[in-house]
Amino acid sequence: MRILPAVMCDLEKELEVKRQRIESGEGLSWLTWFSLILLISWLILPLIPLAVWSISRSWFFPDITPSAYSLRAWSYVFSNTSEVLPALGVTTLIAFCATIVSAVIGVPAGRALGLYQFRGKAAIELLILAPTIVPGIAVALGLHVVFLNIGLAGSYLGVLIVHLIPTLPYMVLVMAGVFANYNPNTEAQARSLGASAIQTFYYVTLPAILPGLLIGSLFTFLVSWSQYILTLLIGGGRVVTLPLLLFNFASAGRNDITGAISMIYILPGVVLLLLGARHLTGRNSAAESLRQI
Amino acid sequence: MSRYQSTELTIWSRLFLLATFFAVLLPLSAHSTERANYKNWDEVIAAAKGGTVNWFMWGGADNINQYVSEYIGGALKQRYDITLKRIGINDTAEAVNAVLGEKQAGVNDDGSVDLIWINGGNFRTMKQGNLLFCGYHDLLPNNQLVNWQDQSIANDFGLAVDECEVPWNRAQFAFAYDSARTKNPPESIPALIEWAQKNPGEFTYPAATDFNGSVFIRHVFYHAAGGPSSLLGDFDQQKFDAIAPKAWAILNDMKPYLWREGKTYPNSIANLAQLFANREVALYFDYDPAIFGINVENGIFPETTRSFVLEDGTIGNTNYVAIPYNSPNKAAAMVTANFLLSFDAQFEKAKTNVWGAAPAIDIDRLTEDQRNLFAKLPRHPSVIAPSVLSAKALPELHPDWISAIEKGWQYNVAK
Repeated sequence: MRILPAVMCDLEKELEVKRQRIESGEGLSWLTWFSLILLISWLILPLIPLAVWSISRSWFFPDITPSAYSLRAWSYVFSNTSEVLPALGVTTLIAFCATIVSAVIGVPAGRALGLYQFRGKAAIELLILAPTIVPGIAVALGLHVVFLNIGLAGSYLGVLIVHLIPTLPYMVLVMAGVFANYNPNTEAQARSLGASAIQTFYYVTLPAILPGLLIGSLFTFLVSWSQYILTLLIGGGRVVTLPLLLFNFASAGRNDITGAISMIYILPGVVLLLLGARHLTGRNSAAESLRQI
Repeated sequence: MSRYQSTELTIWSRLFLLATFFAVLLPLSAHSTERANYKNWDEVIAAAKGGTVNWFMWGGADNINQYVSEYIGGALKQRYDITLKRIGINDTAEAVNAVLGEKQAGVNDDGSVDLIWINGGNFRTMKQGNLLFCGYHDLLPNNQLVNWQDQSIANDFGLAVDECEVPWNRAQFAFAYDSARTKNPPESIPALIEWAQKNPGEFTYPAATDFNGSVFIRHVFYHAAGGPSSLLGDFDQQKFDAIAPKAWAILNDMKPYLWREGKTYPNSIANLAQLFANREVALYFDYDPAIFGINVENGIFPETTRSFVLEDGTIGNTNYVAIPYNSPNKAAAMVTANFLLSFDAQFEKAKTNVWGAAPAIDIDRLTEDQRNLFAKLPRHPSVIAPSVLSAKALPELHPDWISAIEKGWQYNVAK
């Protein structure tokens, strides 16, 4: 106990030095720039050929640019036959609902895991992690039979429920992390000052967990957005999402239509990333919010 | 397009094998193959009115999708008040798997699949698993346009159709080359062997796990056997052991002259198409020559693409549509199958700007006017004339032979 203050003091000094270094922009800055450029190239570069493919008619190796251009792929994508636009709506709706449901389940579950110690906690954490470890395809077949028996196969509700299997771990684990740094005494203070349970959640809990909740929601939305096998099996072809249409053309080697559908497919990811970027870049913003309280 | 019958060992096929395994383990329910309950065609049409048909079919070609959704779907709505829902899949096994899963779960009259584009191994699985609705051919008025005496229609990869599916298209293997680059393409297997040696790196074929790669290997097998006649019928291990080493020797001798010295093979026909499009290889082939014209129209292949058939002939097959036993819309599915066989639908499909697929009906059974229309159809310059092709048609093998050859190739050639 006696050495603790000394250690703390050392740590603080070290942190102070680091902070100065970061703020003055020396040492780390070239690395920061390098990673920024690398990240942007990773995000943008793969998209360029897709965009070009979507408007090309013929593009032969080793030509740098297509030898003929055409809007055929786009006119197919926007035709009634392709069903891309209805699929865009279905995919968005399912991903949105999966996010809401994941949040409703994930926030209390994350709170329990982050704040409390209880018997069997490790086992529960493992169970929650299981869907990210076990490949979805391994359980998909068995699930299909279960869903057929309870009449959920081939329905939007069934697909929504099955999407929760891969999305929940992300939400629960992110929220568990948020609540691990959360001090529930602030809630007690609010209650002692006369706030109702709902007011406490809205004015105290929610602002503190909001950045984490947004990140969890972003993950959840994108995980649901990219589901293929589970949608295919449980949806039984009756629930048509964008990945299903995309795979049809990708596996057939139709780069032009694949490119056009991909352009639409990445839209929500880009939109969400831009919207969420503010919250993703803030250093430990959850802790910042707590400090403000 | 032959991708609907891909025998690739994709994750789907593996899943499907697993499902089959369980289906065999589970006691098969007493639900035997159903017979049609309708007395005549008028009853079928009346029952079909207002129905919906969920048609599961390979969805990777926009022109086929458009033909089915727009032409077939539009005509069915207008003429019979039937709603056609085309459900695009990557592999026919996905649809077979859906029906199999429903059978396991006891969904025997409200299945999700009403019609499947099918043939070969998938048909065998469904027929042997009692997953099909059978015995309705005499109800369909357009059935009389089909020549059931033709063994290549009456048997789907060596298995009797037995009124369990309705023919839709015929396909026959052919080669394609770019006439601007290659002057004298090899038109027989021995010529191909010689040509490959003179043009190292210019030829390859997809691995046996690919449907089209497997067909190419069968052509070499036929050559090694001196023709297909001795290979027809059930699988015979002794015959196989006598012929296989010759076939493997041919393919192994060719190996060092293949694309990338045969160290690797394209894993799908789409990859071979890409190699041909990029001019990395000089020859392409496909079970459905209509694809040559489609790829030229889509700008994937050069305009100078031309096609040819092997002197000793090439393998042909028929592909069909089948109705699962648990379809809730059998009447509407039968009306759809009947319409697919009609002159109107088959003629539309044969147009090169639509699809260019060879008709499954016997042209000689049509009226003179209709015959003339077929005769006058312009042919895509990149697609070999159907008459030239069909004059050199070879039969397809029993699925047991096919799987033995595929396995043998993996073990003896690919290694």
